[in-house]
Amino acid sequence: MTFQQVLETVGGTVIVKGSRWDVQEIQHVMACSLMSDVLVTEEDDILLVTSLASDQTARTADMVGACGIVLMNDKTPQAELVALCRELDLPLMTSSLPAFECCWQLGNRLNGPATPKS
Amino acid sequence: MIPFETQNSPSIITELLYRLKIKDIMTHPVRSADPTTRLREIQTTMRENKVSGVPIVEDDRLVGMISVDDIIRALDQGYIESPCGVHMSRKLVVLEDDMPVSMGLSHFEKYHFGRFPVINRDKELVGIVTSRDITSALLTEMNRALETLEAEINSQAAPVAAGEVKRVFVVRQFDYENAGRASTELKKLLQERGVSRKTQRNASVASYELEMNIVNHSLGGRMIYQFSADRVVIEASDRGPGIPDLAKAMTEGFSTANDWIRSLGFGAGMGLPNTKRVSDDFSIESTVGKGTTVKVTIVFETAPTPQEKPA
Repeated sequence: MTFQQVLETVGGTVIVKGSRWDVQEIQHVMACSLMSDVLVTEEDDILLVTSLASDQTARTADMVGACGIVLMNDKTPQAELVALCRELDLPLMTSSLPAFECCWQLGNRLNGPATPKS
Repeated sequence: MIPFETQNSPSIITELLYRLKIKDIMTHPVRSADPTTRLREIQTTMRENKVSGVPIVEDDRLVGMISVDDIIRALDQGYIESPCGVHMSRKLVVLEDDMPVSMGLSHFEKYHFGRFPVINRDKELVGIVTSRDITSALLTEMNRALETLEAEINSQAAPVAAGEVKRVFVVRQFDYENAGRASTELKKLLQERGVSRKTQRNASVASYELEMNIVNHSLGGRMIYQFSADRVVIEASDRGPGIPDLAKAMTEGFSTANDWIRSLGFGAGMGLPNTKRVSDDFSIESTVGKGTTVKVTIVFETAPTPQEKPA
């Protein structure tokens, strides 16, 4: 999945594009608003989906080597977050979707639509 | 008034103002008198010892003060031979011996006294503080701090073994504007060294957890990164309040964070356990009232992990 596809899937707005927008292949998504929980991930290049709009989101993303951030729940990113994403070359987009809907759509896009259990 | 303020001073001065306690700078033992002492005697004590105020003590308790002003008034109005207990000021503002010097500074700004008696926890008189005591103690300490800084700069400039670098960052309590900066710098340094992404992540995560602990839970401290050819040693130290129960603090889910720390995305009680998890070596020492030092080592992976391709 590319950032462009993520953007279309979550009906988002681009805030910071960064240099990896067109080249990064996204294979893992982590949805979390508690940064302490993000810091235990062992995957490289995760896409961080969160509703924490402060610059600590970008710091945390940088520490774990995440490749980009989706700010869901119609949150407005704080100016410090935008500045830090630019500095760290981290793509940042916002989405008005609530958490469950946002993850559901991204999951469908990544793995194909879920099939109901019979 | 002393032209120091805690808000906009360089961090090294702010640090001093909080680290130094009143007991470190006060004059002691202090010349005192009891309420039956005649004012004339106190005048002599002042002249002979070159002091401008004498605390009056009864049964080990501070009960009043006689200042030069009181003596002048007594001479003027002709009661210099009477006992001081009748004429002493009983409205006392005191400092406690374990208060930080910053508190002393704000007392001098707030009240128009030239000196403050100092009492201990048992309310006994243990010393006296004038603005001169504060100024000279601060100058001495600032000098010492500058010498330490200079020595540190010199040691950094000195030739070090190949690949050895030391970096120091000051971290301040509740300074969310700068929280995480040291760790971001560490990550950049690791990237420059070309270590594997796993090593970068482990070291950055350990550093960030420890840095946020200093910001959220301590009175302030510093992060020290010591690089050598095959590892980085991260030392996070703070100057209090210390952890009363280390075993509890190392338990996943245990947290003393309050609601606003949680609203910033922290305080899940994962910090120390997670730091240990990503480190090759982990040690922690803590003394209540003194501070906590955590030292972790991250050994660089010998070869970068190949990018795993999906099957």
